[in-house]
Amino acid sequence: MTNTQTPAVRTRPAAPLAVARRPSARERGTRLLAALFLAPTIVGIVVFTVVPIAGSVVLSLFHWNVIDSPSFAGDANYREVFGDSTVLVSFRNTLVFMVFAVALQLLIALVLALAVNGRMPVWLRSVFRSAFFFPLVLSAASISVVMKYLFNQDFGVVNWLLGLIGIAPVPWLTSENSAMAAVILVYVWQQFGFSFLLFVGGLNNIPKEIHEAAALDGATGLRKHLTVTLPLLSPTLLVASVVGIINALQVFEQPYVLTNGGPGDSTRTAVMVIYEKAFEQLRFGEASAVGVLLFVLIMAVTALQFRLSRRFVHYQ
Amino acid sequence: MTDSHLSRRTLLRYGAYGAGAAALAGTAASWERLTGADIPGRDDGSLVVATLGSAFDQAAVRSLSEGFRKLHPGIRLRINAVQAVDWSDFFAKILTQIAAGTAPDLVYVATEGVQLFAQRLGVPLDRWVKRDGAELREYFADVHPSLVESMMYEGSLYQLPVEFNAADMYLNKQVLKRAGADFPAADWTRDDFTALLRDMKRSSGSHFTPYFWTNRLWGGVVPWLFANGTNLLAESKAPGGSWLWDTFYPAAQRRGRGGGFRWTTPQATDIRVAEAYDYLASLIQEDLCTRPEGGNGSNLVGVFSTGRVGVTPAGGFWAGGLHLAGMRPSGYDVQYFPRWRTQRHQFGAAGYALLRTSKKQDEAWEFIKYSARRDTLTQLFKGNQTTPARRSMLTGTRYQETGPAHWQVFYDTLDKFPDTGPIPAPPQVAEVEQVLLKHTGTALASPRAVRPALRRMQGDLEKAMERDV
Amino acid sequence: MSQATLSLSRTRHSLAPWARIAGLTVCALLTLGPVIWTVSTSLRTPADSFDLPPRIIPTHPTTEAYHGVFDQIDVWLLALNSTLVTALIAVGQMITAGLAGYAFARLEFRFKKPLFGLVLATMMVPLQVTIVPVFLVLKSMGLTDTLLGLIVPAFPTAFGTFLMRQYFLGMPKDLGEAAMLDGAGPWRIFRSVYAPLAAPGLAIVGVLAFNYHWNEFFRPLILETSGQNYTLPLGLVSLQGNLGTGSISVVLAGVVLSMLPAVAVFVVGQRPLREGITSAGVNR
Repeated sequence: MTNTQTPAVRTRPAAPLAVARRPSARERGTRLLAALFLAPTIVGIVVFTVVPIAGSVVLSLFHWNVIDSPSFAGDANYREVFGDSTVLVSFRNTLVFMVFAVALQLLIALVLALAVNGRMPVWLRSVFRSAFFFPLVLSAASISVVMKYLFNQDFGVVNWLLGLIGIAPVPWLTSENSAMAAVILVYVWQQFGFSFLLFVGGLNNIPKEIHEAAALDGATGLRKHLTVTLPLLSPTLLVASVVGIINALQVFEQPYVLTNGGPGDSTRTAVMVIYEKAFEQLRFGEASAVGVLLFVLIMAVTALQFRLSRRFVHYQ
Repeated sequence: MTDSHLSRRTLLRYGAYGAGAAALAGTAASWERLTGADIPGRDDGSLVVATLGSAFDQAAVRSLSEGFRKLHPGIRLRINAVQAVDWSDFFAKILTQIAAGTAPDLVYVATEGVQLFAQRLGVPLDRWVKRDGAELREYFADVHPSLVESMMYEGSLYQLPVEFNAADMYLNKQVLKRAGADFPAADWTRDDFTALLRDMKRSSGSHFTPYFWTNRLWGGVVPWLFANGTNLLAESKAPGGSWLWDTFYPAAQRRGRGGGFRWTTPQATDIRVAEAYDYLASLIQEDLCTRPEGGNGSNLVGVFSTGRVGVTPAGGFWAGGLHLAGMRPSGYDVQYFPRWRTQRHQFGAAGYALLRTSKKQDEAWEFIKYSARRDTLTQLFKGNQTTPARRSMLTGTRYQETGPAHWQVFYDTLDKFPDTGPIPAPPQVAEVEQVLLKHTGTALASPRAVRPALRRMQGDLEKAMERDV
Repeated sequence: MSQATLSLSRTRHSLAPWARIAGLTVCALLTLGPVIWTVSTSLRTPADSFDLPPRIIPTHPTTEAYHGVFDQIDVWLLALNSTLVTALIAVGQMITAGLAGYAFARLEFRFKKPLFGLVLATMMVPLQVTIVPVFLVLKSMGLTDTLLGLIVPAFPTAFGTFLMRQYFLGMPKDLGEAAMLDGAGPWRIFRSVYAPLAAPGLAIVGVLAFNYHWNEFFRPLILETSGQNYTLPLGLVSLQGNLGTGSISVVLAGVVLSMLPAVAVFVVGQRPLREGITSAGVNR
């Protein structure tokens, strides 16, 4: 800490004498400060993320079962992975999961945020906010055990509730048609609170004059939200969707506990395949290859999002 | 306005300082905790044993290590109870340690992993077993040869079994009574079983399923394959092993024993395999049976003990679980798996495997012997959370508090059906299991789905078995 | 807040307030339903656990399951470990994210964009891919099977850094410029102008870190070997019993116990959390 102060203090006496040099001294001070501020984060990332990733990339070019020493494989792992229908299905599942989970999560969060922002007693608003955020504080693994029971076809509370309104029992976790839906529901239930809080924050930031102007122009209800609120909220939407997508593409706990990837491969996700290949089947090379592909996919989707966002996101 | 803002800011600042100071002080005070320096006997050359933590609670682990210390004061011992939810979590942990060169000396391994460990990681125990033959005579006399054989690989013994669980049938007595049905006879058939499920269904309301099962290698479809006289992979026995059988078992018991199982050619398209799937599909069609649900069966005890399920396959480990769930000994009972073409049962067993990388193999062998002693197992398995491998430990007193009334069934499964065998677990077991679970899920979606799913299962199994692990 | 109420009161087509509140109440109940079921089941005997309709208010509440948790696992040691790990990670992330976020928002230096990209990219790496190499790195530092081995790798936080960058960007630029004209150097501008305003942003980083790491399972499972180093989520596993035969009430009592601190942190941190998160989605 004391080091950082020295250059900053020094610039002051030097300033009146050498006016022309002043910016560079300040610049140097700024750079030094930046280096010091970034050091903990960057060093940590290099040691605990970049080096391990480099390790995985190298590993993806080797056959390795942990027990014997690795042997060079060239592109064999990648060819194997591309020819493995389970891997391909898992990537399709991951994308399907991402699209529906993120869309549902954002939609629910947005509607609830708008509703909570309406007129109501302060305490009530606070109760609602806490309720919607609450699932986030739970552990995904332990709550999935509970959910597994709630979604049971014959004895579960979900089907009992649906029965009350006359809907026949759904084989949530045991049918290829509905297992993904159940996994998405459980995931969204736990995650939407985060987007919800982001939206509540975003709505608070919209100046009231804009609403008033819109109201004077005759924009009301849904139309007002579509034409006025949404564009103003678009930066928040971008953040919520970027974070939502990055997280959704790495989903693991919910399908692992609820369905273990089944029935068939219907809920097997990319990260599950990585886990299974590495720790169950001892094929670390292939697991790393899938990991590299997933990483590339996430990067590509995120880059695409930022590209699209240039067209649709409005900054005030 | 400005004032209150400023004071709040100052307040926040002092709050931050306070928090920072507290964190620093806390860190300093707990430095030993953070670095693990306060843990006695770390990295001091102790014998390290990795067990599955969900099977043994902390009291059990403590008694296990204290008992060993009393017996072998010269050997320092450290037991790591790995808190893994399932076998694959446990395995992930062990593998990471192996990769880093910090593997334990002994690992608790169930049938699923016996051959994988034997082939890639383990040390055969033959030389120690021969050396200490006199001491072990009592152990082998107490343990069924089927259990011992399941721990052999290519003629050598890799573990001493300490526990096992055969897939028998648990029946809820209250549901039986409601259906007006008698407790089934020991030689009941598949058709008796179907009729019983129909009776149960008729006499019960909604939110009830007569037969519940979990889609897994143990207790899922495989017991039905065994009962129908087939298996997922063609089964044969490795030669060898007579060094053990001739020394420890009488002629009647060693007949047909070999050097361990070999599971080779996949036979998912075998007509008998298809029959077993057709049968389960028909039960599902009739609403007599749940669709296969993946996972570790964690809700199963709950739904069975509260009468939402009438029958389910389980082993001795359920006696303890049902007791914890508040079921009275008179509320349930256990019977053999029904007969189809055969009444061969399926079981899984477990014991300690010695790793090749261990530098304390002699000490480790002492622990293996200790772990299989009668007094050790008695202390460890007090709660009936599993079936002890030693016949003499299954007594009326053991099951008095937990039930079931027919506790003899657990060990008689081995005695009455000497061909009862372990779940098919070649070294490629992880992939075999995944393929089985995956296609079982789709095969039982509808009666017409069975055959195409089995064809795909066959293809995937062939691919899995070709691979070297 | 008033702007929303004002405009809503003027819009004739929006829902009547009572309908909106009723809808929200239904949603809140659906959201809390599983939690309520968990709490109420932990207070019943296992035999009553699976009743339909679920008896939310136990007829014969019993704390037996909670005694069971304390009998079966060393709750206090596990909680101490979890607290140490989570608190230090939270503090560490507040520091790293505060500093790095400020640098990315308010300081000029070379390679700023690629470095920021690097930080964000770490969010995209699944844990399961890097855990074995991470274990090897920790081993070379002598940190395997220590709580520090869980804590130190978690210090850098991509989302926290991103959040703090947004937060600092949201502060008026003229504050710093005015200080600069007064002759303040870059450190002083940070120290006396911006840092004091960062508390709500830091609070949200801390609360999110707490939430995430309190419930963490996979890293502790792989990295910790000695029972003395287990955290709560690891310890709770043994309540599930051999092959999933543990009592459901005891398992759920464990879940309830372990969520209490996270709830407490959320309740205490709710206000800064709300204020902090407000800025995350705005500005660039």
